Amino acid sequence: MRSKFKILTTTVLVATAALVMVKCNKKLIEHPYTVFTPEYFKSPTGLQSGVNSLYSGLRWDYGPEGAVGITQDGTDEFTYADQPRTGAGGTQDYITLGNYTLDASNGAILTPWNRNYNNINLANAIVNFAPGVAMDTITKTGLVAQARFLRGLYYLLLVEQFGAVPLDLGSGDLLFNQNPYQGFNRLPLADVLVKDYKAMIDDFTYASQNLPDQRPAGAFKAAKAAAFLMLARTYIFRGYSVAKQPGDFAAAYAASTQVINNQAKYGVTLQADYGDVIKEGNDYNTEILFSVERIPGDLNNNEELSGSIGGSKGIDAANDFTPDYTSVKSPTTAGTTPAATRTVLYGRPIRRFCPTPWLFNTAFADKINDSRFDNSFRMVWLATQAGGGFAVGDTAFVLAKTKAYADSINTQPVVKYRAIAPGEMYVIGGTFANNIYPGLKKYEDSKKIIPNDPGGRPFPVAKFSELYLLAAEAAMADGHPADAVPLLNIIRERAAYRAGLSAPVLAARKAAMDITVAQINLDFILDERTRELCGESLRWPDLAVRNKLVERVKLYNPDGAAKIDAHHNVRPIPQSQLDNTADLNKTQYQNPGY
Amino acid sequence: MLKPGEPVIQELSADSYQFSKTDYQKMRMKKMKKSPRGIALVWRRVLPLAFLLLLQIPLLVFAQQKIIKGHIVNESGQPVEGVSVIIKGTTKGTSTDLNGNFSIDAGASPVLVISSVGYTGQELAIGKKDNISVRLINNNKDLGEVVVVGYGTQKKKDVTGSVVSVNEAALREVPVANLQGALQGRAAGLEVQTVGSTPGAGAQIRIRGIRSISGSNDPLLVLDGIPYEGSLNDINPDDVASVDVLKDASATAIYGSRGANGVIIVSTKRGRSGETHVSYNGYYGIGTPSFKYPVFNGTEYRAMRDISPWAQGYLAEEQSNIAKGKETNWQDVMYQNSHKTDNNISVSGGSNGNSFSLGGGYYKETALLPGQDFTRYSLRATVDSKVGKRIKVGINTLNTVGITKGSQFVFPMFPILSLSPYRSPYDSAGNLVKAPVGDNDDKQTQYNPAFLKNNNNNWVDKVRRLRTFNSVYGEYEIITGLKYRINLGLNYTQEEDDQFKGSDDAANPSYFRPNLGNTAYVNNAEAWGYTAENLLTYDKTIGKHRLNFTGLYSIQEYHTHNTSIAKDSITDNFSQFYALGLSSPTPAPVVGGGETSWSLLSYMARINYAFNDRFLATLTGRADGSSRLAPGHKWHYYPAVSAGWNIGNESFMKGFSAISSLKLRAGFGQTSNQSINPYQSLGLVNNNNGIASPANTIRYNYGPTVVTGYNVVTLPNPNLDWEYTKTINLGIDFALLKSRITGSIEWYKSTTDKILYAVNLPVTSGVAGAYQTNIGKMQNWGMEFTISTVNVQSKSGFNWSTDLNLFFNKNKLLALSNGISKNIGSQLYVGYSMTSIYDYKNQGVWQKDEAVQAATYGSLPGQIKLEDYSSANGKPDGAISADYDRYVLGNSDAKLQGGMTNRFSYKGFDLSIVAYARFGGLLVSQVHQSNSSYLTVMDGKRNGVKVDYWTPTNASNWFPEPQATVSPVSTAWTTLGYYDASFIKIRSVNFGYTFSGASLKRLRAQSVRLYFTVDNIGYLYSPYKKQTGIAPEGTNIGNSGVSDPGNIRAGTNGVITISASTPPTRNFIVGANITL
Repeated sequence: MRSKFKILTTTVLVATAALVMVKCNKKLIEHPYTVFTPEYFKSPTGLQSGVNSLYSGLRWDYGPEGAVGITQDGTDEFTYADQPRTGAGGTQDYITLGNYTLDASNGAILTPWNRNYNNINLANAIVNFAPGVAMDTITKTGLVAQARFLRGLYYLLLVEQFGAVPLDLGSGDLLFNQNPYQGFNRLPLADVLVKDYKAMIDDFTYASQNLPDQRPAGAFKAAKAAAFLMLARTYIFRGYSVAKQPGDFAAAYAASTQVINNQAKYGVTLQADYGDVIKEGNDYNTEILFSVERIPGDLNNNEELSGSIGGSKGIDAANDFTPDYTSVKSPTTAGTTPAATRTVLYGRPIRRFCPTPWLFNTAFADKINDSRFDNSFRMVWLATQAGGGFAVGDTAFVLAKTKAYADSINTQPVVKYRAIAPGEMYVIGGTFANNIYPGLKKYEDSKKIIPNDPGGRPFPVAKFSELYLLAAEAAMADGHPADAVPLLNIIRERAAYRAGLSAPVLAARKAAMDITVAQINLDFILDERTRELCGESLRWPDLAVRNKLVERVKLYNPDGAAKIDAHHNVRPIPQSQLDNTADLNKTQYQNPGY
Repeated sequence: MLKPGEPVIQELSADSYQFSKTDYQKMRMKKMKKSPRGIALVWRRVLPLAFLLLLQIPLLVFAQQKIIKGHIVNESGQPVEGVSVIIKGTTKGTSTDLNGNFSIDAGASPVLVISSVGYTGQELAIGKKDNISVRLINNNKDLGEVVVVGYGTQKKKDVTGSVVSVNEAALREVPVANLQGALQGRAAGLEVQTVGSTPGAGAQIRIRGIRSISGSNDPLLVLDGIPYEGSLNDINPDDVASVDVLKDASATAIYGSRGANGVIIVSTKRGRSGETHVSYNGYYGIGTPSFKYPVFNGTEYRAMRDISPWAQGYLAEEQSNIAKGKETNWQDVMYQNSHKTDNNISVSGGSNGNSFSLGGGYYKETALLPGQDFTRYSLRATVDSKVGKRIKVGINTLNTVGITKGSQFVFPMFPILSLSPYRSPYDSAGNLVKAPVGDNDDKQTQYNPAFLKNNNNNWVDKVRRLRTFNSVYGEYEIITGLKYRINLGLNYTQEEDDQFKGSDDAANPSYFRPNLGNTAYVNNAEAWGYTAENLLTYDKTIGKHRLNFTGLYSIQEYHTHNTSIAKDSITDNFSQFYALGLSSPTPAPVVGGGETSWSLLSYMARINYAFNDRFLATLTGRADGSSRLAPGHKWHYYPAVSAGWNIGNESFMKGFSAISSLKLRAGFGQTSNQSINPYQSLGLVNNNNGIASPANTIRYNYGPTVVTGYNVVTLPNPNLDWEYTKTINLGIDFALLKSRITGSIEWYKSTTDKILYAVNLPVTSGVAGAYQTNIGKMQNWGMEFTISTVNVQSKSGFNWSTDLNLFFNKNKLLALSNGISKNIGSQLYVGYSMTSIYDYKNQGVWQKDEAVQAATYGSLPGQIKLEDYSSANGKPDGAISADYDRYVLGNSDAKLQGGMTNRFSYKGFDLSIVAYARFGGLLVSQVHQSNSSYLTVMDGKRNGVKVDYWTPTNASNWFPEPQATVSPVSTAWTTLGYYDASFIKIRSVNFGYTFSGASLKRLRAQSVRLYFTVDNIGYLYSPYKKQTGIAPEGTNIGNSGVSDPGNIRAGTNGVITISASTPPTRNFIVGANITL
């Protein structure tokens, strides 16, 4: 018995040993199931997945707080509101952006800087690899055209903030980089800027020739009209820059009128009512050429985190412009706070940015004939909780356009709500006592899950109306300003429209909106852009590339006036970029003055 | 040997004896058959017993009979297992069982020779007694000790590498949930730092510093001879018999590509022949906070709030409470007593060369905050069997189920410390106030933390791990001295992570989901692996030459896979996470998963040679082939050589009677660090966007059509290689005054090159992620001092012994690629330590009389005063710039650290005091980095940690005036977080009593010891605690705050930081060790 067991055990031991001793070098070969390599982008599905990423990456540039901050804060339109002003919640980046004390460590400037190159490189991969991918040519060309449109846009968003940026990421200009490159190819600045503009114009030109004529009705895949808009915008930007070329403004005029004159071909029209352009639920209207898409209320698919500010791809703009409606007392300062409960529509009063006095008093001096102020700003809040004589849904308080109107409300004993005069509004009235100001309502989203969520509606990037403004500006700059008049008047007359106005009243208002050639100059164009495009993440570059930033901030933005000077026309290169660059002479890469 | 006439027995009590030391150990070792190499720890205990039983038992039948029963305990009164008991002058003997008991037929008036590893050997004349109790003197640094050196054991006196052992008794002195805790401060060169304070939280173990920038610096763990992947939490510390730590390359080269970070060899208990015994070890303890965070009280809070930028007035409730003088201490509201219990039962016995041991354990620890606990159930079984004379087989199975609750969600330290003291948790009717925050911004998202006191189906936060670790061996002695052995290790882990957060409604507010619907998440992960080792060992002694050869061929494979689902909008809270299909179809579930596999092939050979017990040499070579490296680079070779000289055995030392033994050691070897993750050489394209789950997938929608996108995350690197570390080690081992003083001194220097380093590329390279590559060079050198002394060994029975270890490690980065001297993005500074803190120097606060000077820096009095360190021309230039005024302020390495254990015993009483200390270095307190913790931001809308801030009437130089802008330099707040990291801590005091004689008989037990322990007693010294009131030990690795200071390296090699986590628990514990 014992010896049998012994034999058995010996046999098992020897057999196991033999089994394990088998030469098994093939065990050392990796067979990953979960890892794609860059080779993936050489397949048809890889190309499409790459393009999806390129679209998705734009969510960083349109909506998140950093992106809003660098395009709106410290302009003639907006300055920083209560939270940055009191330093609450890590908002120092928005004070320093707005009062022009920002340094290279500012967090907001990282939003485009840290996000865009990765997508530019991916676009390079798609453009470089596509010729070798076996698939049908039409689909392939469409993908390449989208990739080039998006690459051009990624570059534009960088150039307008930082000036010259690298086309060579480590493997050569506009080539997919797979090298662990530690250099930073932005020198010499002037030459690189010339190449940047050329690359963007080439991309948008290719896109305007190879994208579909029209976008799908219910989606925002890039189409020709959007490419023409970006092309026009880029030509105009170059026309004002040190890289300007003869014919830039003429080319911009040609690109923009191409769409204006062929609206049916490109499937675009102006909305009759300005209010419909930005109306929730009408996000896919034919005036919007291109939006960065999201699905209202769908946090995961929007890549946004519930209740977060910054750090995800949601639309923080939905809360950033929201004043502290929850603390406003009605009927008087001793009253209750009828809107103390936040609602999804009104959002979280995160109080990052508020309108400047200039915006309220000058740009929108005419709030009657021009419907765009009312259609852009919330002036009335309804009660969100019962108590103090208010039922939910009663008017809680209103912001009055004039002191007279406010007085007329506040002196009527039957009116229980309160009207706040312009002189009492935060910043606008020169006061910080009342934490209330007109709230930009373009991004309000009633389908959020909770009030603190970021918004989830498509974010307009290119609107047909802007093509009229670009065409008018190009005409003016190209020396035929008379051509600008009808273009501007189309936009201005449309702005007179309000539902319910009688025909004669509307006609009178339209007439009042009309302008003449004598009125046209760059400042007028910029004023008109504010009225049409206020708060749409365009303003800072609009001013900076046209070399009007310093002048207009000094005139119209009390917070920024003291410190701004010419070097602020571009942002500092972020410190983290310089820290990671393998070159001892890092300062040579920094923009002058920082 | 005892000299004639020397008293051998000191009478302690009627039947309890204490012995003086002898050098009997040597004799025992000579008599014992030499332990073959390649056998785990267990053999040093099983072998003599098996040997003796097999050969001697038949003879005993004919001898004159006198059965002596005995019980052997250590200094702390705990039974000692495996003590060899031999009748002097014969080969008859036995050894003690698990409970320290033995029984032997001793013949007439014998002298018993008692010896055991780690204790001083003793001789005992029995006289007429037939029942004795013996207390052994701990002498675990005795050179006669046997240590586990990897693929075998070696006598300590023959060891030429750097090895340190921690025995079972020492492991038990601090009652802890896991081995990491038990090892803190117990061995020179072994640094254990806490990284969390929740139940079951782990700790970071580093042996002789760190060598890798972005790879793992964790040592290799070997459990019962088999490399062990995964969590030490899965091991029941009660199952552990000993821990041996291999520190230098000559010791770790046998583990080749995994040896660079040192090796920790854990050996579990095995069975022992003899009468079957049942024993119980257990304790129960109650814990209280070892400190409370100092926060502003009501008056102080108001003072701060009134001068802060916060313009909104006090809420009605606050005003009312101010009027009434009613304050809430939110820490008192939330902290509860914690509980901790550990219960282990084991049965062991065996005969005729077969032995077994079975054990079961239950451990549970709750926390100071509701909702957090850790439970572990464990079962183990060991069988060792001898088949004939030449074959041995055995199996060991260790099985644990661990359940951790409350480790995945953010538990409410922030609200506890930041809620206004003038808000109340309960309203006048005694109901919980839903959102007692003063600040409107928090109201939507921050409910009353007191809701956590009653779960009410509001949340599940549970991680359940099942682990089964099995090893089987078979050994065949082919000819005398030549053995073949196969070890098979089979390892399987399954983990399920469950999360559920109930929906919020008026009747049942949901702390974790304010104003939100419910959400659930389940992750199932499995890992399995096997190790097969073929070992050939050969022992031969020819005259004065002793030779031992070990050859190895092994293969290890390991595989992991997980699948996760996150789902919102579960139909009803009652189903929690159990049936995710019972939910609304939208939003769609978020599904994730991953897989890794790797394998390692190895050949190893080792030769140990000893001449005349004086000259020793070890030669080791290993070849490792790894799947993780790119083709063409997979195989590498690791050589090591070491030598020793037992000077104590030289004839010229005979005259120095004070020196019991003395040995010099020197070693050199090369190892590497298996710190490349599988597939890392391949580059990576995936659809992860870097945002937190569940929004972490690159998505886009074209209208209603949702798609996913892929992007490049890391670049491929076909040249990826290991990091290679070369180490020189010099050591002296000594024993003085008849081994009353033993110890060792070590010096080492290691140089690591081809360091794996995730280069943070500038984002303009087009790749967002870091790039893993081999660049750079790093050096560590240090010294280690270990000393054990028997301070008092009086005839009255009073004993006092001390173990002390002290060590330091100096880390220095020698080079990076391309001649770069600093890489700020990755926090690497050539010439400085890896834990360097690079920042502006905080010089306090600008005072009123410095207003003019402050203005030149754009500052005002009351703002942070940063040092104008340098400029482009090398001198201060009157401006603070990121390029010239940030520099290496220091590092978080301890300049000296160590542990001390003092043990006292008198009659049945024993007392041990365990201390741990670190001196030097800076710590990073994120609590005090205002934009990280928000607890020192002093914006007025929340309360915070009580710091002394500047006001026009309080010229503080610590914190700036509460204001929106504390400095024109946007990152100046980070400089508020650096403090002296030194401390001396009393980890535990353990007081016990061992019953003996009549009382033991009344209890019908073999042995009973009862004890009382207090742990986390406090800090004898800590500048940080003195200044801030917060414990100076880590709670996290890397940034744990809201804003990233930017100079804390991300990942597991980041600086250890202190954030506002639950305070450590001070436990009051009663326990018992009982053997029946």
